[in-house]
Amino acid sequence: MAEEILRVRNLTTRFFTEEGQVNAVESVDFDVRDGEVFGIVGESGSGKSVTALSLIDLVETPGRITEGEVWYRDAELADEHRDSYPDAVDGDFVDVRQLPETTRRWLRGPAFATIFQDPMSSLNPTLPVGEQIAEAVEVQRRARANPRRTRSRTQGYGMGRFIADSLLPSRNYVSEESHERAVALLDRVGIPDPEQRAEEYPHEFSGGMLQRAMVAQALAGEPDVLIADEPTTALDVTIQAQILNLLTELQEEEDMSVVLITHNLGVIARMCQRVGVMYAGEIVERGSLEDVFENPVHPYTEGLLGSIPDLEDPAPRLSPIEGNVPSLLDAEMGEKCYFADRCPKAMESCLHRIEERDAPSTRAGVDHKVRCVLADREYDESEALNPAEAPEVTDD
Amino acid sequence: MISPRTIRNLRKELRSSLLAKVGIVLVLAMIMVAAFAPFIALHDPTEQDLDENNLPPLGFSRATEETTSEMQNGSLVIKNETVLVNASASHPLGTNSLGQDVYSRAVYGARTSMMVGVLGTLLAAILGVSVGLVAGFYRGRVDDGLMRFADVSLAFPSLVLAIALIGLWGRAAVDIPDPFVVLGVVEPVRSALGLPTGMPDSFVLPGTVIVVVGLVNWVWFARIARGEALSIREEEYVKAARALGASDVRIIGRHVLPNATTPILVLATIQVAAIILLESSLSFLGFSGTTLSWGFDISQGRAYLSTSWWIATVPGLAIVFAVIGVNLVGDWLRDALDPGIEGEGGV
Repeated sequence: MAEEILRVRNLTTRFFTEEGQVNAVESVDFDVRDGEVFGIVGESGSGKSVTALSLIDLVETPGRITEGEVWYRDAELADEHRDSYPDAVDGDFVDVRQLPETTRRWLRGPAFATIFQDPMSSLNPTLPVGEQIAEAVEVQRRARANPRRTRSRTQGYGMGRFIADSLLPSRNYVSEESHERAVALLDRVGIPDPEQRAEEYPHEFSGGMLQRAMVAQALAGEPDVLIADEPTTALDVTIQAQILNLLTELQEEEDMSVVLITHNLGVIARMCQRVGVMYAGEIVERGSLEDVFENPVHPYTEGLLGSIPDLEDPAPRLSPIEGNVPSLLDAEMGEKCYFADRCPKAMESCLHRIEERDAPSTRAGVDHKVRCVLADREYDESEALNPAEAPEVTDD
Repeated sequence: MISPRTIRNLRKELRSSLLAKVGIVLVLAMIMVAAFAPFIALHDPTEQDLDENNLPPLGFSRATEETTSEMQNGSLVIKNETVLVNASASHPLGTNSLGQDVYSRAVYGARTSMMVGVLGTLLAAILGVSVGLVAGFYRGRVDDGLMRFADVSLAFPSLVLAIALIGLWGRAAVDIPDPFVVLGVVEPVRSALGLPTGMPDSFVLPGTVIVVVGLVNWVWFARIARGEALSIREEEYVKAARALGASDVRIIGRHVLPNATTPILVLATIQVAAIILLESSLSFLGFSGTTLSWGFDISQGRAYLSTSWWIATVPGLAIVFAVIGVNLVGDWLRDALDPGIEGEGGV
């Protein structure tokens, strides 16, 4: 079994809005291993994207990561911080959240790179595409040329640098070398005629091309972990397939780990080795793709899988999960299992906080965890909360 | 920063709009007049000639009462005669009460208005845009603090604030040597053209006024820049830049500012007009550091409005044309650069 590159523990992100506290991400645990694609799947508003942003610490006010650790494996970084931040180092792992902001900033790019949902708006319309990628390359190139310790001082793009750059056009931040690498990256992600395309502005690109350019930009830092936040949602179906193929190909060649966030179970089934199912800010079930998809324990996972049309055996009706995602306002959440209101198998024992536990079928050495009482016991109708025999309120 | 598409839009808008053409002609004319004032003026604008005061412009004459008294047959006879004062060809727009050439003063006044308008706007833009971008980008307390301060500055009437600041700092002015005089090209050219020589060898830049109009008008830039920063900071490319490890200064300078230039540029042109007006008001009230200013001439001419209307009217028309010209150029820029109006700009 490959070693973990990322261990997320008890990650909790809250938004402090005027309506009250919103628990967007609630003690999320998961691991990402070397060279695997880890999928996070869930409905809209289940906290998938906020989880991604929390990993790279880009949650914006009024949101705040209130708790949790993001352990990232980097032996060099661990050695360097062993003395200065003893709490943040555990073996080869470093808790990114405890490092100072400057260090964290320099991990964005070479450690974690991100692809966002909407490629149309993910590139600055005022700069040529190639230049934006080259700039990302340049930052990482300079960072690598210097030891980590001095990065923040030598690589800073301070006010003086900015004024000098804007006043003297000859003082170009981006070197020729980085520009060539940017063109090579564009070529790499399958953009035809990359040299000419590099000079073009984002509005001259199509959506699929822009998403390729975004991937190229993310590759600029040769990241260990690529976080793809719904990378295909804004694209049409044929382009989606191309982008997913590209991601798979690059992931294998570059030996990256990918955290793939999507609401599309088909994408998960196709891309991922392991998967986490999110509901109302929690990961309700996680494990290998086979375990979760073949032997789902949590009724929510079952419901999700049941709502996919089956081509081979077209059922007359799909069985959607009744109801809506609950409000994530802290005041309205309570202490019970958040899915209890919609759960066809809710019991009285669901009315208290459910901890994560091993799935019943778990063989030794297999990681399949569930946040549901059904992991430990069978469904007992006598304790049912939402009695099945209750007459349907609507019968039309 | 200026893409070929922008230039195309500017051209297209210019072709289709008569007002834009008028604006450009007015502004270019004003720039030329201000730049080449020593060649365009007919006289030294400060040269006084009390024998030739209040001369009317060409084509007009001024009636004046002349009282003569003489002894006739032992008694004093006082005669009131109406005399017509005729225009002089060397003063085509007349002279003022001190016999200074109204036309030449208007020509040199363009320099003051242009310098104050452009430099004052530049100062206001630098101040306001920096404050606005920081406020909009960081939001929260920084935003509250800076923008409440801006609101407080805005609550003062700008003219009152300007007068208060000038009262505080005095009317410092800087003498800038006139480059053409320094180069020695003015005298030969003027003698060749048969114009009187002896033009002023320096030009008074009202330093305090520039600083004050900048400080009074920065708020508009701060508001626009803040609004733009607030919306641009939410763009995905800002998030993407941050996810790639870009620093705040870099994001503000490289991503937020370039995307906010259009409304700032449009505001800047309109502010030039507003600042020209403010400068005229200040010099009308005597708070400017220079006497070569349209506003000052209007205040001088005000007393003679019933008899010598041209003294105040000529600089007044100059202000009107300058402000209209700059505003028309501002409208042209807005129409050409704002992609919301023409369908072409959208991605």
